[in-house]
Amino acid sequence: MSRSRRRQTRKPAAVSAGPRVIGVDSGGTFTDFVALGPTGIHVLKLPSTPRAPDRAVVAGLGRLGAARGTLVRHGSTVATNTLLERTGARVVLLTTRGFEDLLEIGRQDRAALYALAPRGLEPLVPRRRRIGVEERLGPRGERWLPLTGAAVRRAFRAVSGRRPQAIAIGLLHAYADPAHERRLGRALSRLGVPITLSSHLCPEIREYERLSTTVLNAYLGPRVCGYLAGLARGTAARVEVVLSHGGTATASEAAREPVRQLLSGPAAGLAAARDVAAACGYERALTLDVGGTSTDCAYVDQGLLPRRRARTVAGFPVLLPLLDVHTVGAGGGSIATCASGGLLEVGPQSAGADPGPACYGRGGPPTLTDALLVLGRLSAGRLKGSALLLDHRAAERAMLLLADRLELAGPVAAALGVAQLAEAHIEAALRKVSVERGHDPRGAALVAFGGAGGLHACPVAEALGCEAVLAPRHAGLLSALGALTGGARREASRSVLLDARERDALERGLAALERRVRGSFPSDRRPRLRIERWAEVRYAGQSHELSVRYGSDLAARFHRAHARSFGFFESRRAIEVVTLEVRASLPGERIAPARAWEGATRPAGRARVRGSSGWVSAPVWEREGLSSRFATRGPALILEAGSTLWVPKRWRARMHPSGTLVLTRGRS
Amino acid sequence: MIGPGRRRALDPVRLALERSLFESCAEEMGVTLMRTAHSPNIKERLDHSCAIFDRRGRLVAQAAHIPVHLGSMPRAVEASLALAPFAPGDVVLLNDPYAGGTHLPDLTMVTPVFLGPGAPEFFVANRAHHADVGGAAPGSMPLAREIYEEGLRVPPLRLVRGGRLEEDVLRLLLANVRTPEEREADLKAGLGAQAIGVERLRELARRAGAGDRGRAALRRAAEDLMQVAERSVRAALRALPRGQFRHHDVLDDDGMSDQPIEIAVTLTVGEGRARVDFTGSSPQTSGPVNAVEAVSRAATWYAVRCVLGEIPINHGTFRPIEVVAPPGTVVHALPPAAVGAGNVETSQRIVDVVLGAFAKALPDRIPAASSGTMNNLLIGGVDPRTGRPFSYYETLAGGHGAGPGWHGASALQAHMTNTRNTPVEALEHAYPLRVVGTQIRRGSGGRGRFRGGDGIERTLELRARARVTVIADRRRRGPYGLSGGRAGARGFTRVEQPGPSGAAERSRAPWPGKFQADLAAGSVLTLASPGGGGFGRPARRRGRRVRSGRRAP
Repeated sequence: MSRSRRRQTRKPAAVSAGPRVIGVDSGGTFTDFVALGPTGIHVLKLPSTPRAPDRAVVAGLGRLGAARGTLVRHGSTVATNTLLERTGARVVLLTTRGFEDLLEIGRQDRAALYALAPRGLEPLVPRRRRIGVEERLGPRGERWLPLTGAAVRRAFRAVSGRRPQAIAIGLLHAYADPAHERRLGRALSRLGVPITLSSHLCPEIREYERLSTTVLNAYLGPRVCGYLAGLARGTAARVEVVLSHGGTATASEAAREPVRQLLSGPAAGLAAARDVAAACGYERALTLDVGGTSTDCAYVDQGLLPRRRARTVAGFPVLLPLLDVHTVGAGGGSIATCASGGLLEVGPQSAGADPGPACYGRGGPPTLTDALLVLGRLSAGRLKGSALLLDHRAAERAMLLLADRLELAGPVAAALGVAQLAEAHIEAALRKVSVERGHDPRGAALVAFGGAGGLHACPVAEALGCEAVLAPRHAGLLSALGALTGGARREASRSVLLDARERDALERGLAALERRVRGSFPSDRRPRLRIERWAEVRYAGQSHELSVRYGSDLAARFHRAHARSFGFFESRRAIEVVTLEVRASLPGERIAPARAWEGATRPAGRARVRGSSGWVSAPVWEREGLSSRFATRGPALILEAGSTLWVPKRWRARMHPSGTLVLTRGRS
Repeated sequence: MIGPGRRRALDPVRLALERSLFESCAEEMGVTLMRTAHSPNIKERLDHSCAIFDRRGRLVAQAAHIPVHLGSMPRAVEASLALAPFAPGDVVLLNDPYAGGTHLPDLTMVTPVFLGPGAPEFFVANRAHHADVGGAAPGSMPLAREIYEEGLRVPPLRLVRGGRLEEDVLRLLLANVRTPEEREADLKAGLGAQAIGVERLRELARRAGAGDRGRAALRRAAEDLMQVAERSVRAALRALPRGQFRHHDVLDDDGMSDQPIEIAVTLTVGEGRARVDFTGSSPQTSGPVNAVEAVSRAATWYAVRCVLGEIPINHGTFRPIEVVAPPGTVVHALPPAAVGAGNVETSQRIVDVVLGAFAKALPDRIPAASSGTMNNLLIGGVDPRTGRPFSYYETLAGGHGAGPGWHGASALQAHMTNTRNTPVEALEHAYPLRVVGTQIRRGSGGRGRFRGGDGIERTLELRARARVTVIADRRRRGPYGLSGGRAGARGFTRVEQPGPSGAAERSRAPWPGKFQADLAAGSVLTLASPGGGGFGRPARRRGRRVRSGRRAP
């Protein structure tokens, strides 16, 4: 290993000048740090402190020498955990009278089709804290029932009597005219608790989804504020938070609209995966993040992160553009069972951290991790970068038991089946984000990360017809890296429901949105802003929209997009602009690639691995010691702290100058 | 990934893989249909299903969003087989309830899949509820006496022949519906889904092996999966107590007379099999509540599926279960009976009686009756704002029955439907309607040790003259309770029509559950769905309040 290379990845004992930027990702098990300073990149992995997650973050920032001049970009799970654990604020909701139950009725559909005892989603605000206000707007903002001073006073009394910690206001058709919501907001501001207006947060049509988003924001606010305040006390560095769109916002903005950070962690990982693909020259990429309990998949097109409107988080709709990351319950801890009818099943139940897979030696069930261990694709003993010991014998016993139940020849046959079935589930998930959204996975790259992404990438890529598998460095730290490289970003949108020919009104609407997003950046950074104007458009009378770039050729763009998505377009039909959106971003950190570096020329050892067609003896390489000229053919195993890469027979791997390993399939 | 490998009796790994592949193929068709369809019915309410069948028309895998499609689709493929021989690129369209369909708005497409020379090896099919297929009232579920009034009847015919769209057929179809642009777009979305299904099945065959070998492997897999499903259903049935269990219940009326309509069932559980016999049910009626046999089967299988829990769904699932529905009864209608509401109302009551029979076998597992009606509301006319015709269809969720150990969920779709509601804002934007309010009917769930879930009350104002059809039930008798639990509250419908002064006047008497009327602008329509039945004797004294099923008190 050359000196320069070693310096780049050395663990920092003391950093003299202090890093310029640090990316942080706090997960359930580990809190990851990637620091960019005058001496290059430093990485750090600390155990998380789930009860007070800021403690691990503050400790890590201290060890990396974060100081007043340091910018910390933080992917945070506080908002998500607050929702999952239902530990948010006591919210009072104001809504149009007659619609107090809207939050509870939702869309009236059930999640489980064949359950004898199906359950609806328990609303975050119970009935007695949902207050109806005498007012009603029409779809164009017509005042069907004007809001009177008396109604405002009644609402005030009702709210103050219910001791709110946060207030959500969501009135029907408020996207068309925010006046009623604003008036109520002004009156209630005397109570001194945070207020979320639906017409400010997400002024878009579809009341239940907007209401749900507004309530979520109010619900998450106090916890997220408290967390960010704790961070500010613990470090002198300036903190920014990664939002669900992959960009960052200042801590104070993030605290005001915490609902925007529900997918903070996955968004950062996806942004990093996009950069990995771009650096290797791929504009289209599938991303595969296989973790302990689940797998996240996404599709990146033309370097654009996939977005999806009106998706749900933990069952709650969020009417803000979120990254389209699809999650399935297939991970290392996924339990393998003999299901009804005697067929093998893998997942969605997971062995979790305790007891964990059988190989943890705590009496756990047979899992995917056990299967991989039996197949030799994961090595027994101490897992690199972890204190955990993996017990090969226990894994083998578990697979033998499974084989007996399935009437299979032995533990290896069972393990092969488990791996294959898990890969079929992963393949189906990747199809969901690509084929089912109208994208072709053939010819795209598959970016594999997370602890086990590299173990399944090649078989899955082959099934999908992907051109190459990309295995980035620091596969276990990609979210922290993405937090670092994602730039600052603000977005604002509003439903307008205008004919596409009403250009003046559309321009006015866009200008107002643009003023709003510009205003949230400090004036010295505004000149570098990259502004994008988008519109959600449909044919008049349709019930769904397509997202297209706004411009003078809006109609033509929409026809093209419609033809691409639906196979036809209707040039004579009137076009309606449902929602306008402005996105503003600043470029993030760029990490300059190293030119060339030396490394090991021989593998660190060999291992017996069961491939798809039999046992082979495969060389085992240490990822950290590979040179910039590294190239090998499968079968091979490449180990890195916290992750393993399996290169099957007929696959080749070579080092790309960006430090990513590029795997391609040779002709058989 | 599918390798021919060593041939075993049943390979638990290979079959698990193949099942996953078949299911994701059906799933992919369904998502394509949803993504590319135009009408809110398919796009937002997800009233559609896709499935794969073998060459004999037996179900291999299904992506069902709507349980009523479960098990009713094989009949569509069977009916299409009459058009054989097929050529690659043929697509059959049908909606005739008496030839493979359910009710007229459900349009079904069936495509033969050729994997090599000879006859087709598989079929893919999709079924979607279209908002309008003509007939006496917008939404095509009028209070009809004969099927001819219900809309355009399409027997199995080729919509696409050898890859070429039969333009004449399409023109005839579109000339007979109220919103032709939307219909055309939805039909094209359906064709897209079929194409995806064909392409994916061909790919599956390629992966299973080259040429004949791959085709044979795929065929064998389908066959084996049926065996696996049959085996697991037989095992689950063996765990049930054996014997005969009877239950009966009624539909309020058929919308034409006041006569209740009886649905009776005798469930016989034997060694690894069951017989569900509807002998004793009322003769078919002159109103549209008649169900064709496919619908009765679908409802029965849905109930069985709920009781047996996690079992794979394909043709084999149904082999151990015999369904007897005597021809000429309300559960096996013969032409020319009107059948529009059989699908949406009678199917719900069939579930109620089949679950009621199971409750006698398994009193500690089966919940009381849920709302038992879809509260269908159809409104159509001309929108004065645009001068264009509109057609709006919605169902209203109700309360779920309480069970041994749990309260029923409130305001949630039950049993044979799971369609979403249309957002109020989208509705008021698209149609000349105004929603006055949507509330949960507190206290409408049946009392009991465990309370039934509450229904919904929804009030709409017409802002233009319109033809309104309501098809709802449980207006005379609420959903039954079990083990001493009380019945849920009945549903009701109220209409206030503008008087001479122009203001809406309240009429005291509730309107019937099923009616069709031309209502003036300014009319106000209230629909209230029933609560679910309670479970267990209610406590005499007020004890500790138990947490409600849906929300914390």
